[in-house]
Amino acid sequence: MKESSTSIVSAVITIFLTGCIIITHDISKDFRQSLTALTGHHWISVSVIAVILFVLSSGLLLSSKNLRKILRSYDIGLWSTALIDVTVIMILVIFLVLIAHSLAD
Amino acid sequence: MFFIVFFAFDRDKGGAQISEESNRRSAISDIYIGLALLLIIGGIALAYENWIGHALIAIISLLLMGYAITTGAMLKGRLKRKSGNIFKLHRKSGIYFGSFVLGSFIYGLWMRLQHGESLLSSVHGKLGLFILLVVTLQDIPSLIFKNRAKYRGLHRIIGYALAPILVIDAGWGLHNGVTGVTKSLVLLHSISGGLAALVLVWIILEMRYPTYKSLARAKLASYLSAFLITAGCWIVGGYNYLTAYGSQVRPVILAGPHPWAHEVIMEAKEHIFVFLPIIAFALSITLSSLDRNTFQDDAKSRHALMMIACLALFMVLFMFLMGAIISNAGQTGMETLK
Repeated sequence: MKESSTSIVSAVITIFLTGCIIITHDISKDFRQSLTALTGHHWISVSVIAVILFVLSSGLLLSSKNLRKILRSYDIGLWSTALIDVTVIMILVIFLVLIAHSLAD
Repeated sequence: MFFIVFFAFDRDKGGAQISEESNRRSAISDIYIGLALLLIIGGIALAYENWIGHALIAIISLLLMGYAITTGAMLKGRLKRKSGNIFKLHRKSGIYFGSFVLGSFIYGLWMRLQHGESLLSSVHGKLGLFILLVVTLQDIPSLIFKNRAKYRGLHRIIGYALAPILVIDAGWGLHNGVTGVTKSLVLLHSISGGLAALVLVWIILEMRYPTYKSLARAKLASYLSAFLITAGCWIVGGYNYLTAYGSQVRPVILAGPHPWAHEVIMEAKEHIFVFLPIIAFALSITLSSLDRNTFQDDAKSRHALMMIACLALFMVLFMFLMGAIISNAGQTGMETLK
């Protein structure tokens, strides 16, 4: 069970960081433009970044035993709860930012 | 007669099951309830002729189908049995499922007739008729034959095959109802989402009622869900978003009475969706790394994985809802511009 929840930890890290990127892209026009410049469309950039983050974090966790120990990656219960919490919080924050943006316009 | 869809399931499987199936009299009350449900649906169709009513009845029939399949799998031993008379629950859900399938079909037929259209002029209508025939084929042998052992395998295969067909037809109908027209890419996107939801329910059931072979089936289901979400939903949906939505739908929504459908719902959907393939892959990789003993003995791990599958299912359904709002806003915007 020790190795099996590594991908869940990676998913938590990826969703948190991707969520932060999405929120920043909704707030900052400059950041949005830089995302567009990266691949030609901001949505493709966000998608590519999410995939890269997932692969990188998985690779990092699989290669470092210490990191897995520090993050308690063997605890699947803890990380499944973290995945649900982080995903729901990110969804809510994204919605709040977009609603605020829409009302401000 | 139509409603006894799952009546003859695995009669000679074991002593307990024979005992459960031998109590056939109680089916009559369920049939009466099924008929009453059918009359209620007919009444609703006459009073409220709208595709939303038809869709709601179809959604209820999908839920009942899920319950009938779950109890059927428990009878067969594919899923761990829960306490109580499973056959009775299976028969009851099968009867009510039949009522709702027939009710949904009549509702759809009534709507088509009101608009002077032929039922067989649409793929959704043809599939609906096909489902009705399949359900009838499930029913008739169970009423005619005393010894149901001969066709039990066929009954089981048809029962399982009915699930994706019904999901495809429901997705197709929902797509037609919301958008008003058929757009191949959007249709493929929504059907993939519907099938992904079905597969995620399968994973949840394997986790909730584990047996010896549950892990192998859950792994297969998780690969399917990852494929459907990535290829069918992410790539197809993304391609449509990049090539058609921005130039054709977005200006119409912004010019229409519900610009918030783009500003809030679409902007949220396009980005929140990115979380879903990550969750599906995490679930799939985690399941593939499990061994059978850990899976069966560690209830905490199973519960954790079930919660992740529930999260993915919630997100798929949430995407469905947002997609329906966006498509409806596009249609309303188009009507306003006319």
